[in-house]
Amino acid sequence: MQVRPKKKRSILPYLLVSPYMLFFLVFVAFPVLFSFFLTFHKWNIISPMEYSGMDNYTRMFNDRLFWKSLRNTLWFLVIHIPLQIIFALGLAVFLNSKIKFKGLFRSVFFLPVIVSGVVVTIMWQQLYGFNGGVINQLLNSIGLGRVGWLTNPAMSMPSIAIMATWKNVGLYIILFLVGLQAVPEHYYEAAEIDGASSWQKLWYITIPAINPTIFMVIILSTIGGFSLFIEPYVMTGGGPLNSSLSSVLYIYKQAFEFYHMGYAATLGFAFAFIILIIIVIQKKYIEKKY
Amino acid sequence: MNIRNLKPIFNYFFAITLLLSCNGHEQKEKTITFWSSNASQEILFTAYFADKWNENHSEKLESQPIPEGQSSEEVIMAAVVGRTTPDIYANMWQGLVEMYAKSGVLVPLDTIEGFTDFIMARSGEAVVKEITSADGHIYQIPWKINPFMTIYNEKKIAQLGLDVVPTTYSAYLKAGKDFSKDTDGDGYVDKWIGDTEVKNIWHQRLNNFYPLYLAASNGAPLIKDNKAVFNNEYAVGVFNFLQTIYREGYFAKESNTVGSDKFLAGHTATKWTGAWDVSYLERYKEDDFEYNIAHLPVPDDHRGVVYTYADPKNIVLFNTCKNPALAWEFIKTMIDEAGDLKFLELSGQIPRRQKIKENEVFQVFLRENPKIIPFIDQSNYVYGTDNCEVLIEVLDIISQEYESCVIHNKKTPAKAIADASRAVDILLGNF
Repeated sequence: MQVRPKKKRSILPYLLVSPYMLFFLVFVAFPVLFSFFLTFHKWNIISPMEYSGMDNYTRMFNDRLFWKSLRNTLWFLVIHIPLQIIFALGLAVFLNSKIKFKGLFRSVFFLPVIVSGVVVTIMWQQLYGFNGGVINQLLNSIGLGRVGWLTNPAMSMPSIAIMATWKNVGLYIILFLVGLQAVPEHYYEAAEIDGASSWQKLWYITIPAINPTIFMVIILSTIGGFSLFIEPYVMTGGGPLNSSLSSVLYIYKQAFEFYHMGYAATLGFAFAFIILIIIVIQKKYIEKKY
Repeated sequence: MNIRNLKPIFNYFFAITLLLSCNGHEQKEKTITFWSSNASQEILFTAYFADKWNENHSEKLESQPIPEGQSSEEVIMAAVVGRTTPDIYANMWQGLVEMYAKSGVLVPLDTIEGFTDFIMARSGEAVVKEITSADGHIYQIPWKINPFMTIYNEKKIAQLGLDVVPTTYSAYLKAGKDFSKDTDGDGYVDKWIGDTEVKNIWHQRLNNFYPLYLAASNGAPLIKDNKAVFNNEYAVGVFNFLQTIYREGYFAKESNTVGSDKFLAGHTATKWTGAWDVSYLERYKEDDFEYNIAHLPVPDDHRGVVYTYADPKNIVLFNTCKNPALAWEFIKTMIDEAGDLKFLELSGQIPRRQKIKENEVFQVFLRENPKIIPFIDQSNYVYGTDNCEVLIEVLDIISQEYESCVIHNKKTPAKAIADASRAVDILLGNF
């Protein structure tokens, strides 16, 4: 009987993955565990930590601004996600059709994605200006009144959502284009033989076929929406009347303006938990359906 | 396991280690490190004194502007945490010193021989009292101030039939009513009597509410004996004054954006600002643009001198400094009479020194720069900040109420101030 030689265990694979493991432990695992530890402490970074038990959690549940920032973020998502899907899908269908200068259009729509968020935000701040803003000047010139895009509490978050949609739409156009190009052409040919209109083809073929992409866009937009920071930080500072105070901006304020590291970590965990719940629900729905 | 298999990996790590250990810079032996603000005039000022010091001393001084970051406060905080603080930092906002002092990262300067006498002679007893921390030590060197005053466009004010800008609430509001107009007939006001930032950010209240509160109250504190003491007629009066301004449209409700200067463009007639603005205006104004300076508006029944916010930026020594006495020797060269004159000449900001106007050393400068004189006069009646560890949060609470009451008219001034005072007391009770 032939005895197979015992396979020697090599440490080489471990050595090869060790740089990433080291990176993961130092920059992911340790910060997460340390942040969780912080949630039970009061700490301003430079003074010794004080154990505070569940104080940070109690404070969070009673904190009006925590709930306000959560509501604001959800409101942002409610406006931003449908806008993102409608515009990205519409433009993707347009770019997927037989048009001239397709490459140029794709580049143009993708351009805002690669421009710095701060630059885009400052540019839109100028556009949204109440007195000297281009949008209000246009509205005024056609006889419509000026809008307090960033000065009216009811308008600040929708204005930010419009800007965020403009900034990110190029990325989602690409995702939808990939989905659209995977739809078999003969589906459309069969529909045409049956006399289907363009609208019917979109509604009964395209949308069901790219449903997984739509849900991926929803998940990515949800995660992206929860990290909303630069736009309200630069444009409104969270105002007016905290109407654009996003969750991440509130964490930032607690951590780096007031140095409440323990409380900021608690808020971070709470928001991460909320995102997790939303993503789990979305994922479950996708898995159930497909 | 075959050791030969590991050879390329060892070589790889060896090469990486070798590369990382090559610094390329010769390690310089410097005794004192100094961070200035990143304002170009202050970089020049620091470099001038560093060069002078290095010519005459074997213990060298290395100066640099504060590293780039979101804000200088964040950079300093990061340096404190990483224990990479410089020996000396010049540009510390007075309101932050108490927090750092309480955390034990600053050198108590009054323990250095001759320090208190020097500061007492330069800045006076009131300033020494103002900068003394709750524990009785002094952790900061009062360096420079930019007293808040009203700068006004003389021609615009003259158009209202006035010789000087109004300095009482009612007169200022009257000027606001007369000046603020829709000049192009589009239904919206496009000329305002003044302008100040509306964003709900704590430090913006140092540009409007706080200077006006100090002016109205003769320099009263916000916090005393760990209690909120601003629920008074002065704070309510300031909120009422500003609320009226915004309600009637005398100031624009819009946040200032990059690249616009409503004052220089003639869209506003006044601005509340510090001495640093004089050099800015001199640089950018049109030749026929004439301006002057007056104290901030005060209640109609105000009597006597008018105080304002000093906007003090001070010098501190971090406890990473190995030789505080030597660092102090260097700082003295920057803040003696010759140093203060040089600072005035380069930056146009006011040294926190008493009797500048009477001092022979400064006479030539003052003759050549008459616009700075009102700020020098005002510097005798200024107040910095209360020594409160959580001052930023106190200002944030006031800012929340300010936005709600003054900008959006959601509360009465009395209720807004009472709510802010109660919230601050709760905050202070938590500490």
